Formats: sequence, C-alpha cells, structure tokens
Amino acid sequence: MHMATTLSINGETKSFDAPPDMPLLWVLRDILGMTGTKFGCGIAQCGACTVHIDGKAVRSCVLPVSAVENRNVTTIEHVGSTPAGAKVQKAWLEAEVIQCGYCQSGQIMAAAALLAATPNPDDSDIDAAMAGNICRCGTYVRIREAIKQAANGRQS
Amino acid sequence: MSGKMRILTSLLVIAIVAVALGVWIIRGPGPLDFAGGTKVALADYRAGKPTGVPAKLEKASLAERGEYLAKAADCMVCHTKPGEKEYSGGLAFKLPFGTLYSTNITPDKDTGIGNYSDQDFLNAVQHGKRRDGARLYPAMPYTSYTFMTDEDVLAVKAYLFSLPAVRAKAPENTLSFPFNQRWAMIVWSAVFNPDTRFAPDTSKSPEWNRGAYLVEALAHCGECHTPRNLGFALDNRKKFAGAITAGWRAFNISSDKATGLGNWSDQDLISYLSLGHAPSHGSASGPMGEAVDHSFSRFAPEDISSIVAYLRSVPPQPSPDLPATTAPVAPASHRDGVTADARGKKVFASACASCHGWSGESPVSPMATLTGTWAVNDPAATNVAQIVISGTKRHTPDGALSMPAFGNAYTDDEIAAVANYVTARFGAKGSKLTAKDVAELRGQTAE
Repeated sequence: MHMATTLSINGETKSFDAPPDMPLLWVLRDILGMTGTKFGCGIAQCGACTVHIDGKAVRSCVLPVSAVENRNVTTIEHVGSTPAGAKVQKAWLEAEVIQCGYCQSGQIMAAAALLAATPNPDDSDIDAAMAGNICRCGTYVRIREAIKQAANGRQS
Repeated sequence: MSGKMRILTSLLVIAIVAVALGVWIIRGPGPLDFAGGTKVALADYRAGKPTGVPAKLEKASLAERGEYLAKAADCMVCHTKPGEKEYSGGLAFKLPFGTLYSTNITPDKDTGIGNYSDQDFLNAVQHGKRRDGARLYPAMPYTSYTFMTDEDVLAVKAYLFSLPAVRAKAPENTLSFPFNQRWAMIVWSAVFNPDTRFAPDTSKSPEWNRGAYLVEALAHCGECHTPRNLGFALDNRKKFAGAITAGWRAFNISSDKATGLGNWSDQDLISYLSLGHAPSHGSASGPMGEAVDHSFSRFAPEDISSIVAYLRSVPPQPSPDLPATTAPVAPASHRDGVTADARGKKVFASACASCHGWSGESPVSPMATLTGTWAVNDPAATNVAQIVISGTKRHTPDGALSMPAFGNAYTDDEIAAVANYVTARFGAKGSKLTAKDVAELRGQTAE
C-alpha cells in the first residue's frame, strides 16, 4: 500500500508516495535520490545510515518513514549548514580522517550530533556517542582526533 | 466385621479421603470461580450472547466465523513452526523433561486431522483426547478450550478444513520417563480438566460475560499468565499473577494497582491488546507479541472492550518481586546514572543507544522507549535478555518497527552484561544475570 507522505528533509518539504513501513533510508536513496546516506548492514548495527531526526543521530535503515512525519530530518547533504556539522566537516578534512569513505557520512552525522549536544566531549563521551558507528578501515584514531579538533577549533 | 477388616477399611477410607483432599487442595478453584455470581446454562441466558462471533460476522459463512474464532483462540502460533506452512505443526516446546512438538492441524488425511469427524474434533479440543484415543499433553490448552461451545469448536473445524492440506509430520516427542507415559494424562485430565462449557454469570454484565468467554475459553490468557501448581495445572488461587512460560515472563495481569493492570487506563489496555503497544507501558514482544500479531489485533473493537471489562474484575494479586513503581526516565547523558557494569555499557553504546537513547526514551519511536516498561523493571531481566536474543517486531497500521536479534552476534556473557546494565539504568533495580542464566533462557524458547 502506497501513501502520500510529506517529510521535512534538510529544511525543505518533500512529498512522495511510499509504503508507510518503508525505511527512511530507502526513501532517501531510492525515491529522493539522496545517496549520501549509505546502506551498510540494514539492522542498525553499523551506523553507515545515520541521519538526524530533530537533531538526534538515528539509524535510518530501521526507521519506518511513518515514524518521522512532522519531524525534521537532516542528512549528510545538509549537515554542513549546521554549526556543529560545519566544524566537523572542516576537522575531518584537516585530519584526513577518511580512508575508503563508506562509513564516513554516518560517522560525520554521529559526530555532529555529539558536538551539538556536548560541545566539549571527552573520550568517554566520544565512546558513548560513536561506539555504534563502525569503520572497517580502522579510522577510529583519526575520528577521535577530528572530533576533539572540531570541538576546540584548533589545528592539530 | 473382624477387627482386622475394620482396621483395613478404616485405612482405606483414610487413604481415599487423603487423596481426595490432596486433589482438592492442589486443584484449587476454577478459572471463573472468583466471580462468585449465579451461573446459568448458556441456553437460559437471555441478557446477551457471550459466545460465537461479533455481530458483524453473524451472517458470515461457518468457515469465516471459524476463522475469527480460530484467531481468537490463537491456534496458529503454536501449530506453526516458523518458516513452515501455517497450521502444519512442528513447533518445539522445550520442557525441563524433554521436547514436545505441536501437531499438524491442516486437513491432510495422513499427517493432519483430515480424518477427524466432528466428534473427534470436539474430543480433542474440549477433552484432550486424540482420534486414536491417546491423550493430549496439556501444552494443548484444552482445559481452557473446554469452555468453548460445541458450535464454536465446530466452526473452527470448518475453518481448518477450508485450508489447504499440508503434508507434514511432526517429529516424535522426546519426553523422559515418567512424562512419556501418555496414559497418565487420563488421571491428569480427570483432576484438572473442568470439562464443562461456559456458563454465563447473571450477576455480571453481558459485556463481562463476553469478556470472560473470550479470555477463558478462547484467548487462554491464564495458560501463560497464571502460575502453575504441583500438578503443572493452573493455580487459580493466584489467577493472572504472572508466570514464566517458554523462557519469557508473562507479567501480572490481575487488577493489582502496583504490579498488575490496576493502574492501566482502558485506553492503555485497548492499545496494548490491539496494537501491541501502550504509551509508557512498552511494547509486546516474544509470545505476547505473537498473540497480538495473530490474535488480539484481529479482534473486533467491542470484543477488545469486553476483554478489558473482564480483566478489570480479576482480583488483585501482588507480584512481590516487582517494584511498587517503575523507574523514572534516566539521565540524558551517559555519564550520569549507574556506572556499574562497564562491559554492559560498552555493548549498550554500540548496539542499543542509537535507537533507545541514553535516557530510555527513544529518539526513534515511543514503541522503542524502555522507560516505564515491566521488562526493564523486572530485577530478573528475563524479557530484556530474551528480546536482546531474539529481537522483536511490532506491526501497526502505520507500518512495522523492528529490533534485530542479537542472539548470534553477542555471547551469553555480553548479553548478561547488557541486560544487567539496562535494568540498572532504566529499571528500579539492576539484574544479576550470568552467562549461564542467558544460556538457560535460550534453551527454553519454543522454536
């Protein structure tokens, strides 16, 4: 059953037809063509599909689109226009965090939500917020460094 | 009579009295005895129609009426092995003394019930007697179904016979002695099967009577929610006080205010039964999730209301091991709140926090909120561990929300750690599960 659905994504109102239980990730990638958010595991265990719902980092692969109506969705395409997202992206480039890059939009979304809520995170804050975002290249050391750099606004 | 004979006779009388007293004490009251009103035969009850189908189905075919009743009795869940054809049996019930398999109740003549006459079917459902004369084990809740009218039982039969026959033979049971002695069920049944049809209570409303019929005869709520006695039959002295069934805790559904349903609003109960979720009470998972998906969600709204009216009347039974009040929302930051179990926290951060949040109020959906649920407030953490192992999925009119199964991704040790962390952080009292406990819970689940 398809239903007309309206979502607020990246500050814009988007209307489309989708079954109410279609995961938000599928809507983003397959219906709206926003492929910056990645499909990783499909069961909320790798973090590659992380987006913000009302500013909080959530996994879009298990989130039915019906659950996000009337809530603000932010994706990797737009996070650079938020203060925390901009800082994170800058630090990411400066620290050369990315290796293969597949998990990185999820990493950046998780880091941006962390900094928006906790502007000066210590290691335990970073562990608590980032533990669910997996990177098989092992860029964790640079991710941690970049988050601290984004928080301090300093060059390493 | 000689002196010897007199002594022997006296001993015999004493023995008979002792056995009768023992049986009477163990058996206790019947499921509807708490109500205490005047019972009349169904045919003499004029105030309403507690049996059969809701008004909108009165004119439906026999098989359609049977479908409603079969769903209300939730035959399918136990008589279907996950991934196999519906009603074809083979689901394994793991008991401490062996494994019992449900049977094929499709109309296949060789492996199902295709050869059952109406009387054969009544014998099985109301009396626990198979077509070949062998006795059923009470995993088949015939002590509840015995309250069904013949008409309703035969409607269920008509529905089952309208389904495609599936050839599927259930594996042989592997019960150990003495539980493998089916004939012993003759005695069990004589003592514990009330073997009587539903009799309306004229002191109660028609709605209550309909609810009583649905709850006791069809939905067989007590089979999981009432503790069992020495004879493994329902102990209705503690009616609906809650029990562990198939490795899951069926919580207290008596009218107790603290630990039962006494403080649930009607709307909470309606929502929980028909959608599997009530705000701030949590979501149905495991066997109750299945009961909602395949049974309660198919009930007519007036039948759900009748169930609620009936449940309200069940006398309060306390659950002393549960806290009097559930824990409030946990702090928003991972730093505040409990710090015990560093390993559990690690697992929670990697696998759980993104959907459940650090406060227990889910950023994703109220259905994933942990705060206020009995599962996290149960110091035994039984259902928390089970949900982590097997995951859960809730269907609603707006789509489905699911939690993946972690049973193969984490060790028993890790699952115990995260359950202990979750109950400590979001519940009233942290659990002390060990890897061994988790292994045992895995072993008890029906599959």
